[in-house]
Amino acid sequence: MEESKTPLLRVRNLYSGYGNLKVLFDITMDVYSGEVICLVGRNGAGKTTLFRTLAGFLKPFSGEILFKQKNVVGNFPFEIALSGLKYVHQDKQVFSDLTVRENLELASYATKDYDWDRVFTYLPKLKVLLQRKAGLLSGGEKQMLLIAMALLGRPSLVLMDEPTEGLAPHLIQDLTQVFKEIRKETTLCIVEQNLPMVTQIADKVYSMKEGKIVAETSNPEEIRALVFEKYL
Amino acid sequence: MTKRTYEWILPFLFTGGLILTRYLFPAKMTFITEVALYTLYVMGNNILFGYLGYVSFGQPVYLSMGAYSAAIYLAYLGRNPLTAILVAILMGILVGILMGPVLIRLRGSYFTLVNAAFCAIGLFTVERLLIGITRGNDGLWFRTRMVATPLLDIRQPKNFFFFAMLVLLVIFILYRRMDRSVLGAAFKATQGNERRMQFLGYDTFKIRWLGFVLATVLSTLAGSLYAINFGFVNPNLGENSRAAEVIVATLLGGSGTVYGPFFGAITFLGIKEIVSQWITRWELLVGVLTIIVLFKFNRGVWGTFTDLLHRSRKTMLMQRKTP
Repeated sequence: MEESKTPLLRVRNLYSGYGNLKVLFDITMDVYSGEVICLVGRNGAGKTTLFRTLAGFLKPFSGEILFKQKNVVGNFPFEIALSGLKYVHQDKQVFSDLTVRENLELASYATKDYDWDRVFTYLPKLKVLLQRKAGLLSGGEKQMLLIAMALLGRPSLVLMDEPTEGLAPHLIQDLTQVFKEIRKETTLCIVEQNLPMVTQIADKVYSMKEGKIVAETSNPEEIRALVFEKYL
Repeated sequence: MTKRTYEWILPFLFTGGLILTRYLFPAKMTFITEVALYTLYVMGNNILFGYLGYVSFGQPVYLSMGAYSAAIYLAYLGRNPLTAILVAILMGILVGILMGPVLIRLRGSYFTLVNAAFCAIGLFTVERLLIGITRGNDGLWFRTRMVATPLLDIRQPKNFFFFAMLVLLVIFILYRRMDRSVLGAAFKATQGNERRMQFLGYDTFKIRWLGFVLATVLSTLAGSLYAINFGFVNPNLGENSRAAEVIVATLLGGSGTVYGPFFGAITFLGIKEIVSQWITRWELLVGVLTIIVLFKFNRGVWGTFTDLLHRSRKTMLMQRKTP
């Protein structure tokens, strides 16, 4: 894959946390268009905090976040989302009282992107679930719906926090195929503990430990050899 | 009949039902008019409570604002009741726009209590601070100053009844439209998962603000209609001790539904009308009923009815499918 020289997302010396509690220390990373980045690390390593900071839910103590060469530190989460950086949270919470169609309509209205057919090419199962209440979907279906909602508006970068958590192995395999397809239209940054999946989709892997990035690799052989496993 | 047609018929069915009741029980015209006006008031609270999840103990102040803005206009500035209604609506928009950003920042009990405090301030203002204009507890009379309105002279109680029905019908249709639109879904989604809405790119603050403005406008509209109906207004309308009533009515009818406020208003005012003939403290029955609704039928009258309807429809479909 040919990478552009300017990163889509550029993070420099980022310190962030909750209240006075520092969780992230000196995070520096680059994400280029078309890449699939995986973030791995134990629970409490700061992966979710990093995503929450990038998505605008946490204001960093210091550091720089440049998305499409614009500083987004201090922007509201909705402004960051509208600028093309979408965040799929790990809780798999959809709007339970609304139908799948209404969930998609909400996502479309915010971004003015009503091209559902494009989304259905990646996630065809959703098409038959349109009238179902989102609260009645299975874990895998909810995840599909969340991904579909994130893809509306053609975001440049989608952050996904543990998309396979709690899913059955065959669903993880399905999701892996979905990621392989949607990477054709967007850049993905995924927090993932499922290492077989990481080896299948990642172009670059960042390993996190105790709030720091302790290793990174974009060498396919190293990724296949799971060299980052020691940080888990 | 398709579901869509059936849904379109309901606003006409309910207002038509009220008109029919008026002819069946002519002596109850005042009560039926009050049901229509109270429905508008409950609809406002329903946006806050049912759609956005805000419990407000300050709704009487908005009702009172509508009533007083119409009354002051009619007593001192003009004579046309329709203009007075417009003044009250504008007052609702203005108050919603100005107060909204302050109030909707607050969550949970803070929102509830600040609204309650605001209600107390409002009551003090009309009772004492603006006594020169509002005439305090003596109330402000303006019935004789009103001029006849074109087509339908709403100074006459009989005509006002039809006018109230027309307003209710229009608001029903608009309310239903709002519920089915992205706006209705956005209100509910903001209540359910505000962060997810932000992930999608929504400025949820503006959504909550808009909901507050709509709720305020409905309350001021109801207040102005109350004032015109009686030709008089006094501070009782904005009593903060009555703040819970509209919440109870919303719960009884079914919060977060389009027609819940209508059934809430009928149930609440119906109990008040019937039971108060025998028991002075009619609120006792409302209290018991509220407890039962909260524990057993928390979807309220309309919500429970629609649930039963869905369930029976499902059973019928299942029976048809079974050979």
